[in-house]
Amino acid sequence: MADENPYVELTAAFNQGRLRAILSSGQAVVMHRLAVMSKDGAWILREDAEVMQHVLDVLGERGARYRLGAPLDCRWLAGGWSAHLEHRRGPLRLRTDFVTRPPRLSEGELDRVWNDAATTDPPVLGLEPLAKLKKTNREKDYAVIGELARQMPEARSQLLFSRSARDLLRLAQVHRDLVEELAGQRPLLLRVADGRDALEEALDAERRALIRANEKRLLAYREAMQAWTAVWPEVAAQAAALPLAEAHAIVVERAEGVLPWAPPDENGGAP
Amino acid sequence: MIEMEDEFLSEEDLDLRNMTWEELVAYWNLWLLQAQATNDADPPYTHGVLVDMTWDDVPRTRETGREHEA
Repeated sequence: MADENPYVELTAAFNQGRLRAILSSGQAVVMHRLAVMSKDGAWILREDAEVMQHVLDVLGERGARYRLGAPLDCRWLAGGWSAHLEHRRGPLRLRTDFVTRPPRLSEGELDRVWNDAATTDPPVLGLEPLAKLKKTNREKDYAVIGELARQMPEARSQLLFSRSARDLLRLAQVHRDLVEELAGQRPLLLRVADGRDALEEALDAERRALIRANEKRLLAYREAMQAWTAVWPEVAAQAAALPLAEAHAIVVERAEGVLPWAPPDENGGAP
Repeated sequence: MIEMEDEFLSEEDLDLRNMTWEELVAYWNLWLLQAQATNDADPPYTHGVLVDMTWDDVPRTRETGREHEA
C-alpha cells in the first residue's frame, strides 16, 4: 500500500476537528487527476484567528520556519497577502503557502467554495474556482485551465473556461442560446460565428490580457512590501532558532507598521 | 473522418484518471521525491503574491547564499 501523501496528510492535520483549510492550486490539480506538476503546497484558509493558531501549531510540530511573506495573521491575509513557510519531511522539502482571499474569486464565490469543500474529503478546491485561480501570468496554467474546463460537467462552465477553439465551436453548435447569454461575461464568445482562426486569436488575446492583469496585481504587492523585504534579514536573525510560535510573535510584531494590511487600491484579492 | 483535438496535457498526465488512489499516491510521492533534485534551481515562490520574485529579489545570507528564515 502506498504511503500517505504529505500534502493530503497536512490537509487532514489542518482540518482536524473542523474545516479550516482547502487544498488548492497545483496539489488540487493532482486531486482532480489532471497532472502532477507542482511540488509546493497551497491552501485557502478560513479567515479566523483559531485557524491561524491551529495551522501554526501543526507546522510548529513539524519544525516549520517562516519564509519572506506576510505573517499568518488575518489582518494581512484579509488584504490578499500570502504567508509562506517551509519544513522538511524526511527527504522532502515542503513549502506551504497560505491565503484567505484567493485572487479572482468574489466574496460570494468564496462562500460557495467553503460550502462545497464541506462535502469533500479531503477538502479540495473545485474545478471552476481552481480554473479562476489558474488565470495567472504563467503560460502553463492555461493548459491546466483547458483540461479543467473539459472536466466541468455543465456546458455553461465549459463555455466560460474552455481554452480550445474546437471545443468552443462544438459547444456553440449545441448551446447557441448559452453563447449569447454568456458573451457578456466572456466577450470572446462573440467570435464563435467568425470561425476557428478568429476564435484562436481571441483566446490568445484573452490569455495575454489575463496575464497582464495578474502582473499588475502582483506588482502592487511587490511595491507594498519593499520596506518589509528590507528588514526581513534582521527579523529572521531575531527569530532564528526559536520555536515557530515564538518566531511568529516576532514576525507579527515587526511586520506591524512596516507591511501594510493591503497594498493601496487592493480590495483584498477580489477582482 | 478523423477529427483532431486540441491537446493541453500529455497522455501520461491524463492517465492519472485510470489509477487507483493507492497508485496515484505512490506516483505522486515518487514524483515529489524525484523533484527534490531541482530544489536549488526552483523559483523562490510558486504561489501567492510573491510568485514573480526571482532569487535576486529575495534577501539571502552572505555566508551561505540561503534565504533568511524566521
